[in-house]
Amino acid sequence: MKAPTIIVCIKAVPDPEGPRSAYEIHSDIKKVVPVGIPPVINPFDENALELAIQLKERWGGKVIALNMSEKAVIPILKKALSVGADELILVEDPSFQNLTSHATAQVLSAAIKKTEPFDLIVTGRQAADWDSGQVGLLIAGILNIPGINLVQRAELQDDKVIVEKLKRSGHEVVTAPLPALITVSSEMGALRLATLKAIQDAKRKPVTVWRAADLALDPAFLRTKAIRALTLPPSHSRTCLFIEGKSAVEKAENLALRLRKDRVI
Amino acid sequence: MTDRIVVVAEQEEGRIAPITLELLKTGAELSQHGGDAVCACIIGYGVGHLADELAYYVGEVYVIDDPLLSGFQADLYSSALEALCCTLAPRTVLMGHTYDSLELAPKLACKMGNDLVTDCVKIEREKGTGFLLCTKPIYGGNAVSVLELATAPQMVTVRPKVAEALEKGRTKGEIIPFCCELVSSMALTESLGLVPGEETVSLTQANAIVAGGRGVKTIEGIQQLQGLVEVLKRYFVKVELGASRPLVDEGLLSRSRQIGQTGEKVNPQLYIAVAISGAAQHMAGAGGSKKIVTINKDAGAAIFGASDYGIVGQYEDVVPAFIKKLATLS
Repeated sequence: MKAPTIIVCIKAVPDPEGPRSAYEIHSDIKKVVPVGIPPVINPFDENALELAIQLKERWGGKVIALNMSEKAVIPILKKALSVGADELILVEDPSFQNLTSHATAQVLSAAIKKTEPFDLIVTGRQAADWDSGQVGLLIAGILNIPGINLVQRAELQDDKVIVEKLKRSGHEVVTAPLPALITVSSEMGALRLATLKAIQDAKRKPVTVWRAADLALDPAFLRTKAIRALTLPPSHSRTCLFIEGKSAVEKAENLALRLRKDRVI
Repeated sequence: MTDRIVVVAEQEEGRIAPITLELLKTGAELSQHGGDAVCACIIGYGVGHLADELAYYVGEVYVIDDPLLSGFQADLYSSALEALCCTLAPRTVLMGHTYDSLELAPKLACKMGNDLVTDCVKIEREKGTGFLLCTKPIYGGNAVSVLELATAPQMVTVRPKVAEALEKGRTKGEIIPFCCELVSSMALTESLGLVPGEETVSLTQANAIVAGGRGVKTIEGIQQLQGLVEVLKRYFVKVELGASRPLVDEGLLSRSRQIGQTGEKVNPQLYIAVAISGAAQHMAGAGGSKKIVTINKDAGAAIFGASDYGIVGQYEDVVPAFIKKLATLS
């Protein structure tokens, strides 16, 4: 197996661990405005990055992190460089606002064509903002390469990728010739922490910015999402009866008695 | 000519999957307002008996039966569906938001060059325009969007358990074999074999679920929850142990026990959430439970607001006493 070039698509999203109150819903402008929570690299993209770096450790080669946005959140995205990616490409243009999954995949595919020849593209299974779970497979379709969804483990061998792809119960072992694209699920494992030295080294790694005009893009591809409405989620709110007691034991006993009284059990 | 709504059927252990009957119900409700004909499509090899079964639910069942389709392979399945869509020109295509269709749907959308909306919890047909209005939770369930699909075929995946199953009809619809040119080279990936899950868990069938979250950090903690599962079997026919995603990612419980946005959607009589904070992503799977009991040491945890009963306390202290009491109630 020759040293591979691996492209990882990453996106910045508001921290999905944030409380509900951190997501302000502006129905009038059909936008969700995060308040008081920092942007992070989409967690599934971090899983993808971890995989790419592990493969690079095994086979050598190069990891390129690729981001598309209307305005790049550079400090967040640079984390990719400090955990082991070799370069960061930012595809950034105001016209990339609110694109459909298909349009996003068109832009990313155009950017990928502009980079050097690659062996593997890795993306997260879905982004924590719109949760669409389409862009990775659409890129594979546009580039006409094999695309495998929901990967929990992957290895390269003899110009092929061999993966474990999640099924509802268990998994399937699947192989495809390179170049190929895989989407990664959280079962892959969390992204490593950056070492101090790696953070220092990252400062010397290249960051490239491309605009829409730098890419071979048909403007007709830049479709935007037709959002009719954006609202608060239906309330899961219930009235909680707090079970009291002098001790944990007494509370537990009172809970059992109460559930019996209310015929829950 | 009547417009069609095509429901892409799925099989599970050799039978029609529950999601398919839910999609047929969704399709039936859509057709009431739009006047479309709902039909089903079953793809596989030797699936004639499944087509027979489906025919009791719809007027037309399209069967794509080919040795190449004996196992699910998304490139081949999407090629078959593409051929069907090009022939029937349906207005709408409904798929399940299931493991297989998470791969099938985007591949079909790419071939058709159309937009797809995934993980819908409600779909409606707009009067006049005929557009499909797709309600989809976003930001992990912290907001809800309504997206418009205009161009046919309007493709969506629908979240399991948001619709009831369609009831079986008395009359049998027409079974229509559909032939399309499939060659093995259309499959860009090759399967080397299926590895079954370590355990069979049926969270969706459970009457009661004990679910552990991030705060349950140890094997001992899991064992306590298992003790609670056992004692609840005095009260419920089927009790299962579940988990929120952090416990599964930590490797403490298997993925088949995961409840939430990327796990199972459940609706038991009783859901006991132990040391779960109650993020929107988890409630997307647990919110349909009839009664929710929460045990959490953090009085400010969001999940109390989504619970019917709550105890503020260390689960390590509460759960053993709860088990003891449940074992003695007559």
